[in-house]
Amino acid sequence: MKNKSFSILNKSLFSWSFSGQIKLQIILVLIICITVFIRVIPLEMQKRIVNEAIKLRNADLLLIYSGIYFVSIVFAGILKYLSNICQTIISQRALSNMRKDFYDHILTLPVTFFRTTSPGMVVTTLINELASAGEYAGIAIAVPITSILSLLVFFIYLIYLNSTLGLVSLVIYPVVIFLIPFLQKKASAANRKRMDITRNLSNKITESIAGIHEIQANGAFAIETFKFNKIVDKLYKIRIKWNLFKFSIKASNNFFNNLSPFIIFIIGGYLSINGRLELGVLVVFLSVQEKLFDPWKELIEYYQTYQDALVRYKKAIEYFDEDPFGVLEPAGRDPYIFNGKLEVKDLSFATDDGVILLDKINFSINPGEHLAIIGFSGSGKSTLIHCINKLYKYTGGHVYIDGKEVKDLSIKDVALNIGFVSQTPYLFDATIKENLLYSYMSDKISCLESLGNCPTLDDLVKVLQETDMFIDVLHFGLNTILSSEKYHDLISVIVAIRNKFIRLYGDNLSDYVEFFDETKYQYNCSIYENLVFGVPNQKAPNEKGMDDRAFFINFLNETGLTKPLEELGIALATQVVNILKNLPYEGIFFEQSPISYDEFEEYKLLVDQIKKSDHKVTSIQQKKILELALRFTPGKHKVIALSDNIEKMILKGRKLFRNKVITGAPGRFSFYKISDYLYSQSILNNIIFGKVKDINPFAKQKITQHIVQLFVEEDILERIIEIGMEFTVGSKGEKLSGGQRQKIAIARIILKDPGYLIMDEATSSLDNKSQARIQNLINSKKGKVTIISVVHRLNIIKNFDKIAVMKASKIVEMGTYKELIANKGILYELLQSSK
Amino acid sequence: MNFYKAQNNIDKSCEFDENLYLLRQLDFFSDLPLETIKIFAYLCIRETYTRDDYLFQQNIDDGKAFYIISGHVKLICNDEKEEQLIRIYEKGVFLGGLALVGKIPRLFSLKALTKAVCLTITREKFLKAVRQLPELMPNVFQSIVESIYTSERVFFYKHAKNCQYCKQKTILTFL
Repeated sequence: MKNKSFSILNKSLFSWSFSGQIKLQIILVLIICITVFIRVIPLEMQKRIVNEAIKLRNADLLLIYSGIYFVSIVFAGILKYLSNICQTIISQRALSNMRKDFYDHILTLPVTFFRTTSPGMVVTTLINELASAGEYAGIAIAVPITSILSLLVFFIYLIYLNSTLGLVSLVIYPVVIFLIPFLQKKASAANRKRMDITRNLSNKITESIAGIHEIQANGAFAIETFKFNKIVDKLYKIRIKWNLFKFSIKASNNFFNNLSPFIIFIIGGYLSINGRLELGVLVVFLSVQEKLFDPWKELIEYYQTYQDALVRYKKAIEYFDEDPFGVLEPAGRDPYIFNGKLEVKDLSFATDDGVILLDKINFSINPGEHLAIIGFSGSGKSTLIHCINKLYKYTGGHVYIDGKEVKDLSIKDVALNIGFVSQTPYLFDATIKENLLYSYMSDKISCLESLGNCPTLDDLVKVLQETDMFIDVLHFGLNTILSSEKYHDLISVIVAIRNKFIRLYGDNLSDYVEFFDETKYQYNCSIYENLVFGVPNQKAPNEKGMDDRAFFINFLNETGLTKPLEELGIALATQVVNILKNLPYEGIFFEQSPISYDEFEEYKLLVDQIKKSDHKVTSIQQKKILELALRFTPGKHKVIALSDNIEKMILKGRKLFRNKVITGAPGRFSFYKISDYLYSQSILNNIIFGKVKDINPFAKQKITQHIVQLFVEEDILERIIEIGMEFTVGSKGEKLSGGQRQKIAIARIILKDPGYLIMDEATSSLDNKSQARIQNLINSKKGKVTIISVVHRLNIIKNFDKIAVMKASKIVEMGTYKELIANKGILYELLQSSK
Repeated sequence: MNFYKAQNNIDKSCEFDENLYLLRQLDFFSDLPLETIKIFAYLCIRETYTRDDYLFQQNIDDGKAFYIISGHVKLICNDEKEEQLIRIYEKGVFLGGLALVGKIPRLFSLKALTKAVCLTITREKFLKAVRQLPELMPNVFQSIVESIYTSERVFFYKHAKNCQYCKQKTILTFL
């Protein structure tokens, strides 16, 4: 990867056809040459069949010439197939090389580039635009050689047969050679415009998706649709124009190709009538005109593909035409390992527009010292640390680490020595474990490739504890649904823990947990769950699909529950619609509703129809109403009460359902039994064997404390943490809270264990407890790790060795906490005003 | 009484109806139209706290308002060394209305002294609902201004009467 990025910008489109593929190209050219000459044989045979075999009425000659004809077309077919294989390999290899190299280059571009570039544009370019460049690489050599050689051979052959007619058949080509490039030039210009508009469209889509909260919150659909439609309309027009030019090229080409047999007929016929041309030769001329069409067509298409690919390729180069933010690897040496002091001398940073964001900053910190940077918003704090970390190229002054100028360091030197945690860390759509190992693995390929040299489970657990992420990961573990194949050894242990949990803590926790009890109505379970009181073993009726199964319908009818549930469903729908009708369809308003926001319109209409029909329902309406009633959970959906009468009917129904399953459909359900593991439920639900009541914010925390104690006793705590670390965090870590994302970001840097750590308000989303834990961790690094931290909470700065206060791009005061307080300067004032 | 109750002769009241009744008694909500209070009654959640559970904690912006339905809670201030009791609240008190309209870290902590049941609503739900019902804003602001004014008036005339320093600090209503 060394310095490769720079070469991509200078690489021509044509060069991708050869890069690492010269042998394959030589083989391809050889195949093409043989193919072209073989393609003349059938023409010669045609002439001989007419002029010799037929004319002389010689059947033997006919058989011989026909045989040669047949063998030559078989060979030509095989060679064509081989050449297609070679072209495909060349093309796909070039495309994947192109994508890999562009991706490498893009990753090394400076952060400032990505501030003005939408991800959509990068995606479109890498996926779509480069595809045509790759396609071109496959035909770059093959098609022109095949076509030109074929044309040349055919022309020579025609002139050899009859020079006059041969020259006449060439007449139209100069016209074509002038016209086609003219049209192609127009098509390429339209294509360039199309790409720019496509880029705008992709930016617009990316922006809308990223800002969907604002759009929905402001109801700004009309504005967004207007902007989007405007670009789409532009694209529509330019695409029409582009395609019209492309079709004009095709149409002109077809016309001229159809014109050539006409000229041959007129002139060749005249010569033949006058006895100046043999009939066999005229047949060959006509046949060749047909055959000339293929290489000519291929040549024109090649020209179009080339122009299209060239436009796309040049645009791609233009989009990413920026130098990487540094040399990737040090030249001729191993990366440095620093342990000296960090010095900043007259450091300045100005934007391209000349706005000064850092103005002659000076300070130095000794190895192992901790520096806090505080200051007003926009004072340059983040810019300063980005310059130290080489994410920004400083425009003046110096930053030295261990005596080495940062701007001269390779990216690897910086990455190996400095850990960086931003305020809004980025997590990848992977498991917690993979995210934890991310920084660690960046320079340990063996760990990345699962070949060892990875941190142990103990290391990971330690870092989770240090960053206060342990309990979060434990919760992810507890909420995991175990597969019987992978974790069969855990199943019996969890059932044993369940029994112990209920025996030891059941009474104490009864305020928080509604334990499963076959004889009681479960208020934190849906009506469906109350009736079934178990889980289906296979695809069995549930509240959504229940009407498809006569089994469940029959059951509801037999128990007399259909009518009461229908009435309950209507009441529930009416009440929810009545309350929520004026609110937007946002998830937060539907958290306590049995109707989800995407179903709301449907139920709103249903309620209206039922009201108008005086509560008479059709079978389709009944299905929706019963579906709603069956998901009604009194402990969660508090908008109506469940009557004692229905409760009793459901409890009675539970027994009947069990009997019906045992006699009519044995094995289809597993019923809740204290001795059985519930495979469809999480580890937590298996242990508590019930439902957590939604009434106390600390309920889960209190329950977890007891469960952890049992895990320790049974020696499976680390196993559950390991399972928790398999939790996938979602795109950008969306399944985690802001605090959890920050804790993982800190944990992954701690695991990497760099000598220098730079933090940019890295704990801003943490609660006090987590903040204190992280602060302890940072304090424990004193004397070992040099830390520069942009700090937003003034209550933690006491622990730092030095404090720098920034204002208007400058450090206005710097010293120890005691010194700055004694000076009664800006820090003192800030502390006073925050009291 | 809703349709379902009428049809089924249910004497059981649901939590939503009880919440509605409680909110209509509160100054913060009482001036609002019934249909609007219904929305807040639906959005409110009942939470049960056991002794020593924190309802909210000092320096943390929890963005929640509480109405104490039953039990006792204590307002405390944790300084570096100890916990100072400020006062005890009991049922019928509405706390934290200001937290519904903007981000503020708590100056104090509120802790359950006995088992306490509270009706709570979060800022996120409150503000999102208000955004849909902009006609609510004048009522909300008036309610907040009135409570600030009342608090400062009581403080000034009752407690700061003989304290010059305290008088100088009564500037909230000038903000």
